[in-house]
Amino acid sequence: MARSAVALRRNPLARVARQYLDQWIQRRARGVPPIEVQYRQIFILPTRFGWMLGLLMFGMLMGSLNFNNNLGLLTTFVVAGLGLVSMLLAYNNLRGIRIHRTSAEPVFAGQPLTLNITFINDQNRVRPALEMLAGKFRVEFDLPGSSLEEVGIRIPTHHRGWLKPDRLRLQTCHPIGLFEGWTWFWPERPVLVWPRPASHPPPLPSGHDLESGRQQRNEPEGEEFFSLRDWRSSDPVHRVAWKASQRHQTLLSREFRAEQSDHLTFDLALTPGRDLEERISNLTAWVLQAEREHLHWTLKLNDASHGPASGKRHCHHCLRMLAELQ
Amino acid sequence: MTDRTGITHPPLSPLVWTIAAFLIAAAPHLAAMPAALAGIVILLSMWRITSGWFQWSPIPGWLRILITLALIVLVVMAYGGLWGRRFATGLLCVMLAAKSMEMYQARDLRMVASVCFFLIATQFLFNESLPYLVYLAGGCWAATIALIQIQQIPAMQRAHSGAGMQIQRRSLNQAATLLALALPVALALFVLFPRLAQPLWGLPDEMLDGRTGLSDSMSPGAISELFLDDSPAFRAEFDDQPPPYHQRYWRGPVLWRFDGSTWRTTQFANARGRQSVPITESSLHYRIQLEPHERRWLLGLDYPARSSMPESTITVDHQLLSRHPVTTLSQYEVISTPDFVPDAELTQSERLLATYLPPESNPRTRALAGEMRARHPEDRDLIEAILQMFHDEFSYSLSTAPLGRHGADEFLFDLKDGYCEYYASAFAVLMRAVGIPTRVVTGYQGGFWSEAGGYLLVRQSDAHAWNEVWLEGTGWVRVDPTAAVSPLRISQGSRSVIERERALFEFDWMFELRNRYDRVQHLWNQWVLGFDAERQRWMLERLGLPRLGATGIGLLMIATVILIAIPIALWLLREQHRTARSEAEKAWLRLLRHLRRRRFRKRAAETPLEFALRIEPELGSTGAGLVQLALNYNRVHYGPEDPELTRKFIANATAWRSTGTRAKSGNPMT
Repeated sequence: MARSAVALRRNPLARVARQYLDQWIQRRARGVPPIEVQYRQIFILPTRFGWMLGLLMFGMLMGSLNFNNNLGLLTTFVVAGLGLVSMLLAYNNLRGIRIHRTSAEPVFAGQPLTLNITFINDQNRVRPALEMLAGKFRVEFDLPGSSLEEVGIRIPTHHRGWLKPDRLRLQTCHPIGLFEGWTWFWPERPVLVWPRPASHPPPLPSGHDLESGRQQRNEPEGEEFFSLRDWRSSDPVHRVAWKASQRHQTLLSREFRAEQSDHLTFDLALTPGRDLEERISNLTAWVLQAEREHLHWTLKLNDASHGPASGKRHCHHCLRMLAELQ
Repeated sequence: MTDRTGITHPPLSPLVWTIAAFLIAAAPHLAAMPAALAGIVILLSMWRITSGWFQWSPIPGWLRILITLALIVLVVMAYGGLWGRRFATGLLCVMLAAKSMEMYQARDLRMVASVCFFLIATQFLFNESLPYLVYLAGGCWAATIALIQIQQIPAMQRAHSGAGMQIQRRSLNQAATLLALALPVALALFVLFPRLAQPLWGLPDEMLDGRTGLSDSMSPGAISELFLDDSPAFRAEFDDQPPPYHQRYWRGPVLWRFDGSTWRTTQFANARGRQSVPITESSLHYRIQLEPHERRWLLGLDYPARSSMPESTITVDHQLLSRHPVTTLSQYEVISTPDFVPDAELTQSERLLATYLPPESNPRTRALAGEMRARHPEDRDLIEAILQMFHDEFSYSLSTAPLGRHGADEFLFDLKDGYCEYYASAFAVLMRAVGIPTRVVTGYQGGFWSEAGGYLLVRQSDAHAWNEVWLEGTGWVRVDPTAAVSPLRISQGSRSVIERERALFEFDWMFELRNRYDRVQHLWNQWVLGFDAERQRWMLERLGLPRLGATGIGLLMIATVILIAIPIALWLLREQHRTARSEAEKAWLRLLRHLRRRRFRKRAAETPLEFALRIEPELGSTGAGLVQLALNYNRVHYGPEDPELTRKFIANATAWRSTGTRAKSGNPMT
């Protein structure tokens, strides 16, 4: 699909044709789940094998007619009858399938997206040899009688944002591969693709990193007690922890830290990166890291500020905001 | 499933079925093939199945090509440069067997399975008799099973089960259903497909590799299997009685040229006749159903005056000739005038040809002829005398003895025992030795009259050869020297003579059974194989349809196929909703259907009770009791079995439905 999408973007004629086809399909019947597949949504054509057998049949017909060979003709017509019946069966295999809904978990750009499609077969018969197609990806499955089945198809993603997958194709070559019946539909809603997290993000922007002394000194100290450390000559006297020093027989200083040191602020404007995408990428990595380490953070995007908060919910919200950022 | 060459082995079951379908379709071809080739085909097929079983890695490409080329050479050698249809089908079989070496993908399997239909159709170029209907059905069935299973390969691979009994049974049933549904369509097409009155293209003669039947040459002494072949040559239907025995001479090729051992036809044998045969009161009208023999001649009683076969001619030798070789069962009507004598004056070249004998051959025969001539100056007397000699001193048998350079001498003076070809040849030599123009006529003589069928069955074993002698002032007169030796052969047919030699396994009841079977075969020929443009027209007229052209018939065909397809489609497309498993459930479903008609639809997620509670207010007074019914349904359907309760529930549900207004569930279940 990736290639075809690129090709479509390059070839305006193909794009127009595609749009026209899509509109035509949607004018014919509902193209978005829930759908109950009916005759206006089913298309049917011979497969390559079907054309081959047709050619073979034509040869048999000509030969038998020429020799007025009646049993040869009968054989030819049995094959023709098989073709007709298998066309009806291919149609019937699709007719009445209910495409209930499509759903997908968001993924990061570049990872394949799994679009789950729920099919309901409320008739009593098996519907064998079904195939779901999305671009180059295909998955084969059967629908047992009176059943509900969820089929996952993988769609590659490239960019953050709301992905509107191309039309999907449910097809079948049942029963003997002579005819291919198919129906087209679209997922009912676009799918969220989070930005791709940077693989080597810069360290988190606040004094979270204890080893980085330089950053620490630059930061104003807060009111909250953080830890004890060896006394240095520049430490003010009121910082000396007398009781502890007595216990340890050495001078110790109290160290304070701002509450902010635990409460990070990710600001798009202050994030390193060559361009917007790289900065978003870094922000994404930070958000994920912060969530992993159970920290609190605030995400500042242009004018809007999200947080401070923590947890999965906040993380997902931030990721969505980053994905939607223009 | 994948070995190191990256080839995925298909599941065993579709593979076995594909090869089985191929072997079934190829079986008659294999039987007609040189045994070595047939062996190779079977061997290759078996190898493929074995390699599928043990998951051997496939033969490398270069070796496959080498084997294939070797096989082609072998086929060409086996058929010795005869580019006939046997060669073509033989090659096809061998190539398909070779294809099985690289049959790993669904695509390849499909190709082999679908070509099976083609193989089946080509077999009918050789034989269309009734038993082959079983072959047609069986072959199509096997090929359809193979195609169905090939379609299920992905499902089989998902389930990791190659050949469960259930899959087997299901695909057998599916194939039978498919074929059963295809059959009405096939029959409609068969009956209504516009037939060609004439072939589109003739088959080059070299494409025909001949079957048993008459030939256009005769060498007495050469082994002739024709007389042992009991297969039918043709059938002749007469309206009332068949002609008497002495008139049952079915004329085939007429042989003039003799080189001392072999009799052949002339170059002008196919020329149109100069003399037309008159149709008189004694003329016979009959209908011939000719089995295909791949030669151009059509058979008819002496002397054919007219035939209904399109583009047929009557040659100078009064032989019926079709324009194209008879490659399929053909039916035609003939009018023959038995008492006609061809008396068109002989040309000089004809006279020379009809009296020619190779110089210095058969000296003793020449001497004998000269001696007899001296005693009988009259031609007729001479003929009588020779026939008398045959009758007194010679005997009839089917044993053959090879004849040398002076064939007639050997036969007349040493052997004195033989069958029609020996007699016809020797008699012609005797006649020609004294300058009487004589020719040999081959064909069939006799036939078995089937009273019930109303037809005369002529078998290949009824093949015969006789002479025609030119008598000045009269014309060509038929003389049958065999009749002089063995009158039984003429009056009762070849069987009377052969029987003595084959009595060991020829019983009367078997003979009777065969004749009964032949009547069925005759009807089959008449109505199925012989169904041609003419019969099609006749049938449509009987159905009250006006005379339709090819276009008309074509449109009628399309309309009929559509008419047939509609019920099939409706049957296939019927809704197959969940079937109720108990009487109570049936009653409940009926109730739901009733409510649906009243625009109350139960949602999929609703329980019976929820549904009842939701719609009861909407139903108003008519809805009373519905909740109680739903409760009782729950008890009956989900609770422990209670026949009494079930019965009451069903009665109440039915009552509720029928009144639609008043509920009878005031206190129904207590």
